[in-house]
Amino acid sequence: MASAAKRLEAVYGTATPQIAFDGVTLVLGGKTIIENLSLGVRPGEFLCIVGASGCGKTTALRLAAGLYQPTSGKVNFDGQPMREPRREIAIVFQDYGKALLPWRTAAGNVSLALEAGGMPSAERPARIEELLRTVGLPGHAGKYPSEMSGGMQQRLQIARCLAQEPKTLLMDEPFGALDAMTRQGLQDEVLSLVAASGATVIFVTHDLDEAIYLGDRVIGLLPHPGRIGIELSVNLPRPRDQLSTREHPEFLRLRRQLFDFIKATEQ
Amino acid sequence: MNRAALLWRVASFAVAAGFVALWQLIASLKLVSPVFLPGPDRAWAALVRGFSSGDLWSKLAGTLEHMAYGWLAASIAGIAIGAIIGSSRRMRTYVAPSLEFLRPLPVSAIIPVAIAMLGLTQAMALFVIAFGAIWPIMLATIHGFAAVEPRLYEVARSLQMSRLAVIFKIALPSASPDILAGMRLSLTVALILSVVCEILAGLDGLGHWVLLSARAFRSADLFAGVILLGLTGYVTSVAMSLAEHRLLAWQAARR
Ligand SMILES: Nc1ncnc2c1ncn2[C@@H]1O[C@H](COP(=O)(O)OP(=O)(O)OP(=O)(O)O)[C@@H](O)[C@H]1O
Ligand SMILES: [Mg+2]
Repeated sequence: MASAAKRLEAVYGTATPQIAFDGVTLVLGGKTIIENLSLGVRPGEFLCIVGASGCGKTTALRLAAGLYQPTSGKVNFDGQPMREPRREIAIVFQDYGKALLPWRTAAGNVSLALEAGGMPSAERPARIEELLRTVGLPGHAGKYPSEMSGGMQQRLQIARCLAQEPKTLLMDEPFGALDAMTRQGLQDEVLSLVAASGATVIFVTHDLDEAIYLGDRVIGLLPHPGRIGIELSVNLPRPRDQLSTREHPEFLRLRRQLFDFIKATEQ
Repeated sequence: MNRAALLWRVASFAVAAGFVALWQLIASLKLVSPVFLPGPDRAWAALVRGFSSGDLWSKLAGTLEHMAYGWLAASIAGIAIGAIIGSSRRMRTYVAPSLEFLRPLPVSAIIPVAIAMLGLTQAMALFVIAFGAIWPIMLATIHGFAAVEPRLYEVARSLQMSRLAVIFKIALPSASPDILAGMRLSLTVALILSVVCEILAGLDGLGHWVLLSARAFRSADLFAGVILLGLTGYVTSVAMSLAEHRLLAWQAARR
């Protein structure tokens, strides 16, 4: 514990990392999925995780959410050991179709998080409307998830996560199933939402460009077992812009570096 | 779509009318002795007579009451027990084999036991009806609770929802299509057992009416009772379908 704190302090200065993995190993079904992972995420940081399919990205995120407990090592949140999931940590699941309540309307799904947070029912409608507007779903409050497109469902899931007023937002390939245009729009929305709320983000993606475009830092995982293979700081100006950021020489350099890494892991 | 539905409705009425006509034909030609088979005309007359003399109303009310109490008791107990078993994997593995043993047991087998314990009473009827009607509801509830999307439980965990909130906001609504289907099946079981209990215990109801009519060779009255039983089954099942349709409106959106 003390050594981990020191090590993290050396890297990040005195601020306590919001989420800290300290020598985390996870064994599931006799298989080591994650091995000796150490990682700190600063408050307000936007961290992206990339890696080949099956390398343990989702598993790492579930550890950060408290949905898994490490076999050995520790996961800390605000310096406290994480024993179970908590409302301050919201998770946007990859499979939005399964993470929404099909029997509740869009408003009802957002309401679930407000109810869990103990908001009085009189205050909920206004807040729900505000949240749906924030994610670009005004006027869809009465629709059931089954009546919404994939992009809309994913926005709805994000709205529910925002309703938790999370300190940390965990996102697992949230735009994986969406077309390129929807995806770019949502990337910018997430960036402005996060900038407005000051939340810490861990964002898992397959898409290297997306990782660099969004992140302050990008981590590439190596498979079997999952461990950190590359770590890149992204020193690109914010706010990011779909055209100019992606043409920035630094963007292209990072992209090249990350691309070479992924290619090497796949051999 | 609407047109096709209308056509089906018309066709099904035509088939029903055809059966009644056939019945009338057989009765009029006296292919079966009128002592045993009255025509629809005589059955109808008996039905009208039964209602106007007032006796049939109380019989119908009696049967509806037996059915409703038994079914409601079965629903409450079936959902509660099913929820407890279905929401825990350990319970499922331990209890499921015993259920598989009890379930195919014909309810008629427990009737003597119930009579021995409770006598020929309303309580015995309630017990038998509830015991028979509980199975479809309980098994459907177990299935519904076991089939809740695990991801939703994770959503609930990360929202730190209470156990009670998880049951009422996640598990029950998710299992509701199964539960309602089970309740619909049980409705028929409850009607059948109501009649059986009325016949066995001589309780006030259509079962008793049918029995007395048969003994007295009043075949028209007998048929009036049977028709009324059929109508009761039909109407309650239609009412249940309507309730299901309303409660599961969100599923219509999915289809
Ligand atoms: N519950 C489990 N039990 C056993 N093995 C598991 C379990 N969950 C995941 N795994 C294995 O762990 C490895 C990492 O899985 P994970 O889902 O974290 O990968 P991922 O990087 O998110 O992949 P993808 O990009 O395809 O989503 C995979 O090999 C997977 O088969
Ligand atoms: Mg994954």
